[in-house]
Amino acid sequence: MTDKHLSTQFDSELGDVSSRVLEIGGLVEAQLSDAVNALINGSSAAADRAMATGARVNSLEIEIDSEISSIIARRQPAARDLRLLIAISKTTANLERVGDEAEKIARMMKTIIASGQGNRVPTAELRVAADLAAGLLRKSLDGFARLDTALAVDILKEDDLIDVEFNGFVRKLITYMMEDPRKISYSLDLLFVAKALERIGDHAKNIAEFTIYIVKGADVRHTSMDEVESAVK
Amino acid sequence: MSTPTPPTLDTHQAKLAAIRKLIASAKRWDLVFAGAGLLALSFGLLVLVALFADMLISGWMRINLDFFVSFPSRRAENAGILSAWVGSLMVMFVTALSAIPVGVAAGVYLEEYAAKNWITDIIEINITNLAGVPSIVYGLLALGLFVYQFGFGQSVLSAGLTLGLLILPIVIVATREAIRSIPQVIREGSYALGATKWQTTADHIVPYSMPGILTGCIIGLSRAIGETAPIITIGALTFIAFLPASPVSASAPFINFDWLMSGFTVMPIQMFNWTSRPEEAFQQNAAAAGVVLVVMTLSLNAIAIYIRYRLRKNIKW
Amino acid sequence: MAAVLQENAVPASAVPAPAAPLAPKAEAKAFNFYYGAFHALKNINLPVYEKKVTAMIGPSGCGKSTFLRSFNRMHDLYPGNRYEGEIRMYPDNVNILAPDVDPIEVRMRVSMVFQKPNPFPKSIYENVAYGLRVRGVKDRQSLDEKVEAALRGAALWNEVKDRLNDLAFNLSGGQQQRMCIARALATDPEILLFDEPTSALDPIATGSIEELVHELKKQVTILIVTHNMQQAARVSDYTAYMYLGELIEFDVTNNIFLKPANKQTEDYITGRFG
Repeated sequence: MTDKHLSTQFDSELGDVSSRVLEIGGLVEAQLSDAVNALINGSSAAADRAMATGARVNSLEIEIDSEISSIIARRQPAARDLRLLIAISKTTANLERVGDEAEKIARMMKTIIASGQGNRVPTAELRVAADLAAGLLRKSLDGFARLDTALAVDILKEDDLIDVEFNGFVRKLITYMMEDPRKISYSLDLLFVAKALERIGDHAKNIAEFTIYIVKGADVRHTSMDEVESAVK
Repeated sequence: MSTPTPPTLDTHQAKLAAIRKLIASAKRWDLVFAGAGLLALSFGLLVLVALFADMLISGWMRINLDFFVSFPSRRAENAGILSAWVGSLMVMFVTALSAIPVGVAAGVYLEEYAAKNWITDIIEINITNLAGVPSIVYGLLALGLFVYQFGFGQSVLSAGLTLGLLILPIVIVATREAIRSIPQVIREGSYALGATKWQTTADHIVPYSMPGILTGCIIGLSRAIGETAPIITIGALTFIAFLPASPVSASAPFINFDWLMSGFTVMPIQMFNWTSRPEEAFQQNAAAAGVVLVVMTLSLNAIAIYIRYRLRKNIKW
Repeated sequence: MAAVLQENAVPASAVPAPAAPLAPKAEAKAFNFYYGAFHALKNINLPVYEKKVTAMIGPSGCGKSTFLRSFNRMHDLYPGNRYEGEIRMYPDNVNILAPDVDPIEVRMRVSMVFQKPNPFPKSIYENVAYGLRVRGVKDRQSLDEKVEAALRGAALWNEVKDRLNDLAFNLSGGQQQRMCIARALATDPEILLFDEPTSALDPIATGSIEELVHELKKQVTILIVTHNMQQAARVSDYTAYMYLGELIEFDVTNNIFLKPANKQTEDYITGRFG
C-alpha cells in the first residue's frame, strides 16, 4: 500500500496481516523444499521436517483468518482494501493447501524410502516438475509481496510447463507398470507425488490470479490468456 | 535497573488536597457573583413592591364596587372610575383592531415576502427606531393627522388609532421575531411539497408564530393602556360624567358606531386629574385608580404568558 | 434565476455506460450552479436511472446536497443562486431548470426528505395530508385513503393507525422521519430526494429507513445524499462520488466500492482521503 489511511491503526493492521501471509508463505516454501529434498535425495529426515511444519502452517492460517474477520468487522474495508483482504484470505487457504501437498509428498517419500525401492524408477521428470513447482511458488509469493502483475502473468503462463512434465511422467509410469506388475504399487505412490506437484503449480497460479485481483480489481480465474493480458494492461 | 518509586498514599493525598484547595478558591467567585446578582435583583424588585404597596395602602379603602360604577365627582368620596375604565376598554379595542392586523401583516411581509436588500434594511432600522420614539411625538402627529386632518376630533377613534400607531412597531417586531424563530426546514418542508408562498405563510408560518405574535400584541396593549402623554396631546377630557353610546343596542340596527366619535377619558388621565387636586381624598382616589390600572396591566401580561404557554405546548422544534 | 440553455452540451465524460440499458428518469447535462459568485457545482453530467437508488457521496462541502436540492429547485427560495445547464426529466424531456418552468410544478413532481425530521406542528394525519391539500384534494374519503396508503408505504401505518390525530412531535425520531417520508410519498412523486435522511437517527431507526428505501425503489426513483459510505453501499444501485463541486466518478455501486476507476474515489472510500 503506497499511501496511508487516515487511521494509522488500520494501516498497521493491514500491514500486519500482509506480513503474516508472507510468513506462512515462507513456512510453506520451506516445507516444500524439505519434501523435494526427500524426493530427490531420499532424505528421511527432510521428510520428517516437512511433516512437522504442517502444524505451524495450520495454526498460522487460523490466526490470519481471525485477523481478517476482525478487520472486516471493525473497518468495513472497501475497494482495494477489501480486495486485499479477500485475496489474503484465499491466498492463505491456497498456501495451506500447498503445505498439505508438500506433507503428502513427504509422507509418500517416507514410505518409498522405508520400502527401499527408491531407485527402481528414474524420476527425472519429477525432479524437473518439483523445481518448477518450487520456483512457481516462490515467484507467486514474490509477486504477491510486491503486487507485481507482470510477474503474476508470467506465472500463469509457466504453470503449463508443469502440466507438460506431469503428462510425460504419467506416460512413463504406465510403461513401467505394464512391463513389471511388481512396480505398480511403487509407481502409484510416485503418481500421487507427481499429482501433488501438479496441484502445487495450480495453487501458485491461483495466488498469481489473486495478485492481479488486488491490483486491477479484475477476476481472471477461468479466463483465457488474452483476457488476462487485457485486464492487466 | 532502578524502578520508579511507586506513589505513596501520602503524596497522593497531598495532590488531592491541592486540587480541593484550588476548587474551593475558584468556587468563592461563584458565591461572590451569586450575592451581587441577588442584591441587584432585590433592589429592582423591592422598589417596585414598595411603590405598589404604598399605592395599595393609600388607595385600599376606596376600592369597592361603587368606585367602579360611579362617574367622577367634585366630591372625592362619591367619585369613581366608570367613565375611565370604559373609555380605556373602548380605546384598547380600537387600538387592537388597528394595530394587530396591520402590524402582523407588515411583519409577515417583511420576513416572508420582501426582498432582502438595502431598502428592507432601512425599513427594519426605522421600525426598530420607531419603537423608541417618545410617545408625546405620536400624540403630536395624531393631533395633526387624526384630530384635524381626518376630522375624527377628540374621540375614542383618534385615541385608539394614536395608541395603535404607538404600538405598531412593537407588534411588527414581535411578529418578525416569532417568524424568525421558525426553523428554515419547516418552510422548506412546506415548499418541498409544492406549497406556494401564501400557502406556506397561511398554513405554517402564521399559525406556528401565533404564540409569539399574540404575546407581542398583548405586551403592546399593556403598554398602550398606561400611556398618558399622547392621549392628553390629542385632547382627552379629564372630567366625563357620561358614557359613550353603547356599541350594541336592543333595537335596530343593534350595532352602531357612534361611540367611536364620542369624547372619552382613560384610566391614566383620570389618575392624572385626581393627583393634580389639592384635597387629600382625591390623592386616595388616584392611588386606588393606580392600583386598578396596575392590576389591569399585570392581568394582560398574565394572559400573554398563559397564551404563550398554552400554544407553545403543541410546538416543539 | 437564470438557467442558461446549452443546446450543445458537452457529452458526459466521467460517466460510463450502465451495465444494462436503462431509462434515465432525469439527467443533469453540463450542469453548473452558483451561490452568488461562488461556483459551487462544475459541469456535472449525471443520469438518474428510473426506479433505481442513486447515492451521492463525498466529503463535506463537495456540493452533493447542493446538487440534490437543484432537483426540486430548492435554491429558488434564496436570492443570489443561479443554475446553468440543464436537468432534464423524462419521459416529457423537460428542463426543470428552465426559467419558464414553475418551481412549484417541479416540487409537485419531485418530493424531498430532509436531514432532520421536520414534521409540522400538526397531527400525523394533517402532516401526511398536507401535500394533498396543497394539490386541492378536499374529499375526506380520498384523503383518508391516500394518507393510509402513504403511511403503509412508509411502513408506519401499524404504529400510528390508532393515533393519527396525535401531534407528530410525539413520535420517536425514526418514526418522525418515516412520517416525513410518508408525507413526501402521499403525493405520488416521480422522484424522491433524500438529503442525509438518517444523520439524526440512531442505528436501529437508520436501519428501518434504509429498509424502506429498498422497498420504495419499486415505485419511485430515488436520489440520496449520505455522509455514510456504508449506507451508500448498502442502499444504492448507482453511486456518484463528488469532490469540490465536481463529479469525479459515477458507476454501479458495486464497482465504486470494489474497484473504483478513479484514484480519488478509491482514496475517499478506503479512508485515505486527507
